[in-house]
Amino acid sequence: MNANQPLPTLAEAGRLIASGEASPVELTEAALARAAALNDRLAAFIEITAERARAAARRAEREIAGGRRRGRLHGIPYGLKDIYDAAGLRTTAHSRLLLDNVAAADAETTARLEAAGMILIGKLATHEFATGGPAFDLPFPPARNPWNTAHFTGGSSSGSGAAVASGILPLAMGSDTGGSIRVPAAYCGTVGLKPTYGRVSRRGVVPLCYSLDTCGPLTWTVEDAALALQALAGHDPRDPGSADVPVPDYATALRHGVAGLRIGYAKGFNDDGKVAAEQAAALDAAAALLAKLGAEVIEVALPPNDHFQACARTISHSESFAIHAEDLKTRPELYARVTRERLTLGAFITARQYVQAQRLRRILTRRVDTLFERCDVLLTAVIPGPAPLLEETDTSPWRSAQPLASVFNVTGHPALAQPCGFAANGLPLSAQFVGRAFDEATVLRVGHAYERAAGWTARRPALAGLSG
Amino acid sequence: MSDDDLDFAAALRRAGLTIPPERVAAMREAYRGMQRLLAVLDDPLAYEDEPAQLPRYDRGAPS
Repeated sequence: MNANQPLPTLAEAGRLIASGEASPVELTEAALARAAALNDRLAAFIEITAERARAAARRAEREIAGGRRRGRLHGIPYGLKDIYDAAGLRTTAHSRLLLDNVAAADAETTARLEAAGMILIGKLATHEFATGGPAFDLPFPPARNPWNTAHFTGGSSSGSGAAVASGILPLAMGSDTGGSIRVPAAYCGTVGLKPTYGRVSRRGVVPLCYSLDTCGPLTWTVEDAALALQALAGHDPRDPGSADVPVPDYATALRHGVAGLRIGYAKGFNDDGKVAAEQAAALDAAAALLAKLGAEVIEVALPPNDHFQACARTISHSESFAIHAEDLKTRPELYARVTRERLTLGAFITARQYVQAQRLRRILTRRVDTLFERCDVLLTAVIPGPAPLLEETDTSPWRSAQPLASVFNVTGHPALAQPCGFAANGLPLSAQFVGRAFDEATVLRVGHAYERAAGWTARRPALAGLSG
Repeated sequence: MSDDDLDFAAALRRAGLTIPPERVAAMREAYRGMQRLLAVLDDPLAYEDEPAQLPRYDRGAPS
């Protein structure tokens, strides 16, 4: 194991540790070596916590050797989007405003991964405060797409997408307010899971929008997303948005295949969302493969995307403005231009618009729930096409293109982005599976069955100077 | 000044925000784009379409 190889997946690393073929120290050194070799090109990490990681790896190694293995994640490296607190480390949110912000305690999610025995390798790049866009007027550069470093990673969990796609880490935490886990997963060719709102604690994570923020994992495989969610999910009484809902065994759910399930393909959403022909064709092919695997595929219609966008943008801009209003007034020069301008849009929203958006949100959520009376999982687009060039990424204050991913932030349903092919330019395409509220198990079951049949995870980015 | 421009300036003044002169045009365009999208929020809604307990917290059943 060395810098030339991608880290094994969580599932594979767990098997290697259990069999004694790999150790936590070896895995940690491999992750650190690969991070050192690639970070100048990818800018995935804001901070690499090498000494802390080595100490944790040695501790894990002693525990496992002493017969005290905590579970399948023990001794495996992971990373945190730099809005997650880890005690003693800075949480900068990729911003000049928080350069000296040292966390006193772990976020609940960090604590759960640490309790599982995972090894923190470092803090990962994000769009500033998990909003805005890629910016060059910040203390840290924007992350770059491992499939082609001239291209955008997607955001805001940009470093998380880059670190997992490049094989530095098998697991990176992201956050998703309007697609910020699923879009970088889609552009970088990884798996990204936005759990149901309330499923995973947000305590200790820098907020962007209280009623839309959702924490979740980016991984290379769906099985790994299930393993990560098993560690992360559960009620946190100190997070007011946390749901007290039983957590099932996600790994067991993966074994069942898709036979007997009904998949609702929101094919019309491809037109509504101005999805590119090659992305739409990849979704058609995914639907056909699921049918071949024994699922019943029917077409369903989502409500108009502009209704979702009016909701998502009104709520998101209002709540993020409430959080940032004082800093925008007193020290606006510390923000990146794009962050400052997009946060400022919240000043233009009226109280009536905010309440109307919440009322419409209830209606839209009910309409999507109604679709689940006819099917078990939805299949939709999550991106309109492959990642754009970084220099062509829209950083204007108002993005004219309607994003697709925020539909399920509005409704709160669990949504999984995963590879479903490659564009002519070699960049990944992505499909999204969506389930009933708190039914991540069925979403993961469909995603896993599709992934195994389609085989897209076999292809890794070719990184010059390293074997893929 | 148009009503839009007056509303734009009033919102900024109330929030205590200033925009660098070279970015005012882009922000005004953003403001107009946002208001165009948000026009859908002017559609009439029934009394019972209300947002209490959104987002849902404690159950897997439809809200």
